[in-house]
Amino acid sequence: MRHLVISAAALASMVTAAHAADDLTLQLKWVTQAQFAGYYVARDKGFYDEEDLNVTIKPGGPDIAPTQVLAGGGADVTVEWMPAALAAREKGLPLVNIAQPYKSSGMMLTCLKESGISDPQTDFAGKTLGVWFAGNEYPFLSWMNTLGLSTEGGEDGVTVLKQGFNVDPLLQKQAACISTMTYNEYGQILDAGLTPDDLVTFKYEDQGVATLEDGLYTLEQNLDDPEMVDKLARFVRASMKGWKYAEEHPEEAAEIVLDNDETGAQTIEHQTRMMSEVAKLTAGSDGTLDEADYQRTVETLLAGGSDPVISKEPEGAWTHAITDKALN
Amino acid sequence: MTPALTPIVLVWLGAWTLNIALTSLDLPFSRVLTPIIFGATILLLWEMACRIFEIPPVILPPPSRIAVSFTQNTSILWTDFVQTILKGALTGWMIGATAAIVTAVAIDRSPFLQRGLLPIGNFVAALPIVGIAPILVMWFGFDWQSKAAVVVVMVFFPILVNMVAGLAATDAMQRDQMATWAAPYWQSLWKLRMPAAMPFLFNGLKITSTLALIGAIVAEFFGSPTKGMGFRISTAVGRLDLPLVWAEILVAAIAGSLFYGIVALIEKKVTFWHPSQRK
Repeated sequence: MRHLVISAAALASMVTAAHAADDLTLQLKWVTQAQFAGYYVARDKGFYDEEDLNVTIKPGGPDIAPTQVLAGGGADVTVEWMPAALAAREKGLPLVNIAQPYKSSGMMLTCLKESGISDPQTDFAGKTLGVWFAGNEYPFLSWMNTLGLSTEGGEDGVTVLKQGFNVDPLLQKQAACISTMTYNEYGQILDAGLTPDDLVTFKYEDQGVATLEDGLYTLEQNLDDPEMVDKLARFVRASMKGWKYAEEHPEEAAEIVLDNDETGAQTIEHQTRMMSEVAKLTAGSDGTLDEADYQRTVETLLAGGSDPVISKEPEGAWTHAITDKALN
Repeated sequence: MTPALTPIVLVWLGAWTLNIALTSLDLPFSRVLTPIIFGATILLLWEMACRIFEIPPVILPPPSRIAVSFTQNTSILWTDFVQTILKGALTGWMIGATAAIVTAVAIDRSPFLQRGLLPIGNFVAALPIVGIAPILVMWFGFDWQSKAAVVVVMVFFPILVNMVAGLAATDAMQRDQMATWAAPYWQSLWKLRMPAAMPFLFNGLKITSTLALIGAIVAEFFGSPTKGMGFRISTAVGRLDLPLVWAEILVAAIAGSLFYGIVALIEKKVTFWHPSQRK
């Protein structure tokens, strides 16, 4: 019996080998974590196989600029935040948004209550704020511009620190506020012993300056190739299936992420919490980019005063062609 | 071989032939001209390769674009240079060197310290910069002070080891001579053993001049204010402004060469008596 099972499995693998699946490489924005659960679930649950795809998932990290990997031909699709993607587009790298699995932004500014900040309009001036760079600074810079605050320091502006990828500046009181994601750093602050009562958080969503995060981007020329378009549509369909599965089974999704984490740095508690927070952000998106969200993102970015993130309204920066093909 | 490669190979062979001719003729100016031609050829081939193969500037910008970025961003580059090189690297290097020299004298005075301090110095030298940088940023804040601290840790040991070896460089006959003249410890240190140690000390200072630059730049990856070469390099990559990244690299290369050159010049003046300085 066991022989039979094994030979049946061997036969199955031979059948798939006989007609090779299409290769596709996905470059993540950051390290392997539940922020990207949908893709790992789609791969491990065989959703990509069902679509006849062989997907390679490349984790990112602090020294990896996903847009650069895409430009260098190291990946076909990348997960990126829209501000960085639009800025890259203006720099001459023709990135196009083909799907938007994240409906809402998870970005916040988390402040110590003792710093006396309660209203962004009046209380940021003269304070020190921690910000991530490497393409993640755009939403923050746009927000400060809409508040009319200079980021050059001084009494009337804010002093910006380039925050490392931890929450130490807040714990050490080196900064009044730091950038956090609902699903990651905010939890790290709580783990470090602070309580929500010690903190004040400002969600970019609530401030009306949210920009779209974790969309799927590819290079424009790929959309001129019908074969590639078909491949991308299958990829998006399977990925969204993975996302919806992950939303419904957060524990299992966290397990799958952990299985795929080669660094061994993640823990199941952390990933389960991350998954349940991420699920709130991906809920309400079937993968199709909402034009209103795109417009809001562009307007936020254009609202830059002296140093806008993008200088003009982008054209052709998104398409529904892939999601329409994938979801209908 | 693709036909696109032909002009590149031709230019390379031409420059090579020219240099061979120059060196074999041994003209008075060929010593200067040969390396200049070599460097110019490298830049020319780089520019040609970028244009002929249409390499996207995001991957590798041609030298011409880097030059444009350099001239357009002089104020940014100057701010970053002051923040990273003058404040971070130079301060740290001076503090580290002073501490190392003082420690070396202390070690020289007492065998007890020699047995205790050298292993600790050895241990500190083995600490990876990526491990200590975040900790020092936490201790000394985000500004240049933490970068200087990283540099201190990096340069301390190489200078210490060289200085300890230098203080042991005199032979017994010379030391006996000083004793015969009834010179106390400090006098014999100052008149005999310090000068004898100079070639060793400068060896350490030259090695660490480049280390200091690397330390200050890399330390900025772990938290910095919104200026500095390390800050600019890491953020400009995120913004796909690669010409600016290369302009910063160019500044670092120029600063590193100057720094090394100045130290080597001082060495020439101080150790004029040493056989290695004879013309």
